[in-house]
Amino acid sequence: MYWRGRVVACSLLLFPGISWHDKGEREWDAARGMTQNHRETDMVSRRNVLLSAVGVLTTSGGAFGQGRAREIRVGVSQDALTLDPANHRNRETQTVIRNIHDGLLTRDADMRIQPEIAESWRQIDARTYEFRLRSGVRFHSGDVLTADDIKFTFDRLAKNNAMSGQTSPRKGLLGPLEDTVVVDERTVRMVLGEPWPILPAMIPFQEVVNRRQLERVGQDGMQTRPDGCGPFRLTEWRRGEAVILERFAEYYGGSTEIPVAGPAQIDRAIFRIVPENSARIAALLAGELDIISELPASAMRQVEASRNAQVMKVNGTRSFFVALNLAKKPLDDVRVRRALNHALDKGAIISRILNNTATPLRGVMSPDALGFNADLPEYGHDLARARALLAEAGVAPGTELVIDTTAALKEIAEAIAALLSRTGLRVRAQVWEGAVLNPMWQNAERRRDRDMYLTSWGNGALDPSDIMVPTLRTGGRGNAAGFSNAEVDRLLDAAETEAEQAKRADMYKRAQAIVTEQAPWIFLWLPQDIYGVARRVQNWRPQADSRINLHRVRVA
Amino acid sequence: MTASRLLERLLQTLPVLFGVSLIVFLMITLTPGDPVEIMLADSRATPEQAAQLRADLGLDRPLPQRFLVFLGNALTGDFGISFFHRRPVRDVIAERLPATIELTLAAILLAIAVAIPLGVIAAVKRDTWLDRALTALSLFGVSLPGFWFGLLLILLFAVQLGVFPVGGRTDFDLEVARVTGFLLIDSVIAGRPDAFLAALRHLALPAITLGLPTAALLTRVVRSAMAEVLTSDYVLFAEAKGLSRRRVLLRHALKNALIPVVTVAAIETGSLLGGNMIVETVFGWPGLGRLVVESIFARNYPLVQAAVLLYAVTYVMLNFTADLLYTALNPKVRL
Repeated sequence: MYWRGRVVACSLLLFPGISWHDKGEREWDAARGMTQNHRETDMVSRRNVLLSAVGVLTTSGGAFGQGRAREIRVGVSQDALTLDPANHRNRETQTVIRNIHDGLLTRDADMRIQPEIAESWRQIDARTYEFRLRSGVRFHSGDVLTADDIKFTFDRLAKNNAMSGQTSPRKGLLGPLEDTVVVDERTVRMVLGEPWPILPAMIPFQEVVNRRQLERVGQDGMQTRPDGCGPFRLTEWRRGEAVILERFAEYYGGSTEIPVAGPAQIDRAIFRIVPENSARIAALLAGELDIISELPASAMRQVEASRNAQVMKVNGTRSFFVALNLAKKPLDDVRVRRALNHALDKGAIISRILNNTATPLRGVMSPDALGFNADLPEYGHDLARARALLAEAGVAPGTELVIDTTAALKEIAEAIAALLSRTGLRVRAQVWEGAVLNPMWQNAERRRDRDMYLTSWGNGALDPSDIMVPTLRTGGRGNAAGFSNAEVDRLLDAAETEAEQAKRADMYKRAQAIVTEQAPWIFLWLPQDIYGVARRVQNWRPQADSRINLHRVRVA
Repeated sequence: MTASRLLERLLQTLPVLFGVSLIVFLMITLTPGDPVEIMLADSRATPEQAAQLRADLGLDRPLPQRFLVFLGNALTGDFGISFFHRRPVRDVIAERLPATIELTLAAILLAIAVAIPLGVIAAVKRDTWLDRALTALSLFGVSLPGFWFGLLLILLFAVQLGVFPVGGRTDFDLEVARVTGFLLIDSVIAGRPDAFLAALRHLALPAITLGLPTAALLTRVVRSAMAEVLTSDYVLFAEAKGLSRRRVLLRHALKNALIPVVTVAAIETGSLLGGNMIVETVFGWPGLGRLVVESIFARNYPLVQAAVLLYAVTYVMLNFTADLLYTALNPKVRL
């Protein structure tokens, strides 16, 4: 009885309001002059208290989905690393930040570039862009946004050591941006060191901060105390658990090009971190979450079958491919590379493993991107032709090839290996840790003995410059195949500085044709991003850049 | 036990901690994979920027120097800056640690509360169907993969019945001033029974998931310890003396049977503290375990080193506490 008495005594101490008595029946009873009958009824009532305590513990949880009529909960797999828009290179972090901070420009759900804080923009010459700002834009603190904030934001991003002594990890996303000049209170100009036509496509990756906030909270404070001018302001950041945002009533309304402009239509937005896929799905089905990202294709049917949720898909921006080590035999022979492209039955993998949630690619680019070449020839699935090409190149049956990949793509790598092995080659998959594998394949010396690398490259800007230059230009930082073609290099370089978009697009189309013909990769597919969305969520759809913008969302 | 003996025991732990520090340092720094390359992956950083970052993080210095710097700073409680949070490791860990401790303590208390009665019953009813059933059940419990069991609990209690939340530590509309970081304690300090209950409700499923295998293991330990004690002479004597069965069991037998139980419980507490990554991941519990796993993949050296050192200190201290408990349970035991 002793320990039980302790527990009860403790709970009495903890919550004097809750009348629950137990310990030392005899003493208590004596003190209260209790008879045997009394004690029995007391036992009963105590049992009731116990039962009702259990009841409180369980049933009050039944109302999870209720009482949050104007609230949206988004389930994401990772916490934000920081809330400082200048100090990260992380997609999940930006997804959260983008609801607190707006940018000069943004993208709508169809990935068109739209003015946001800027009212309009124009290109003055090959190296100068001018942005006209909206009036009446306020930060959450109440400060009015001016051209000085734009200059502060972009200087902090693009200049060396401008982020309190450090250089922003986002600097690279602004290319040759040299200076941001304030023309008047509502006009700024961006000056580039060299022509860079994709600047407008890259601006939506950056969010505007309040220069006065840095003075108020310092560099460390910038990480956790954002003062944005977006539709939501930070209520609380529970590290590792959730970022809780509330509606900012004085929001200027965002882009006028995306209906319906105005303050947010929900009172509260919560980004909850649920790392485990199954748990995220369970939370959606239980009505605890409204939008979940990274829904596995295998779970689509389960979500569709539920009463309160549905599946939403969008073409992603990430091209998947198997980079072939051009420096190694027999992959240095273009016939072998073409044979591998012919040998792979992409359709089988897309339908059986990816549940038809990917678009096959004939080349590098997404069909949604600028300069997509729709006329590329296809390496159709043709085993006989593949075998013939291998024989012609003198590759003996039984030759061993290894596909390197990470654990996340193991299943696909094994399927590719099995399908390629039908040519008579012996292909197998080897799983590595990303921390080891990626740097290895980025270094010509370290990848010398490797054969193939199943990987992908994101192209959030939907511009060839953002994917073809790093992965296919000679010496590009993501050129795992070691591809080097003088004509491709010339076209890519010329397109980098060509101001006229139609001409640029044409150059990229020609470069794509050469790449597909030379086949430095086995061209794979562009996966769709899959979301589970509660049916009560309205006026929201996923967008290709993986942002989850809650600016316009409503709940039924 | 004298104070000097206590101090001596404490000093004996120092070489252990030094050894752990060295091993962890070597293991993580010698594992292939470069934090700078990971941090700059997919970015357009130039080699000069990479070199600058390497210097900023102190990674350009020779290994022995790095170890000495780590050790020296660790003695003053400074574990450096977490590479990807860009904040002091100490702060990052302090934010996450209470959640982990709260979950671990809940799990171990739950395990003990379940294991002692079941173990005693199994020992008393030895070789009956009840004993065999409990033994089978505990074997089942020990073999349950936490990952699978946690998801099963979520599906049943959160999705189907809707009586417990899927994850997280508390409701989003409840805000309790952070004093200790332990939600149960903080809600008591704030005088908020609603927050206390919400925290308890969120704690239930993860604590059951984490505690069940330990409960099963402890049940087996209690049973075998109890079974052995029950055959000893003094128990026979106590019974012969005419003491009630209950008194013999609880006062005489259980107290002596608890020594191995305390040992196992202490070790289990240590391993639960360091081994709850899976449960934390399944339930979205914002604890240290998940952070450490993420840090290992990102080669976030300072955080991993600090966390492992912390685990080691806890382990050593728990064993030390178990030793102290022996002397309380059995005065014949000397440290």
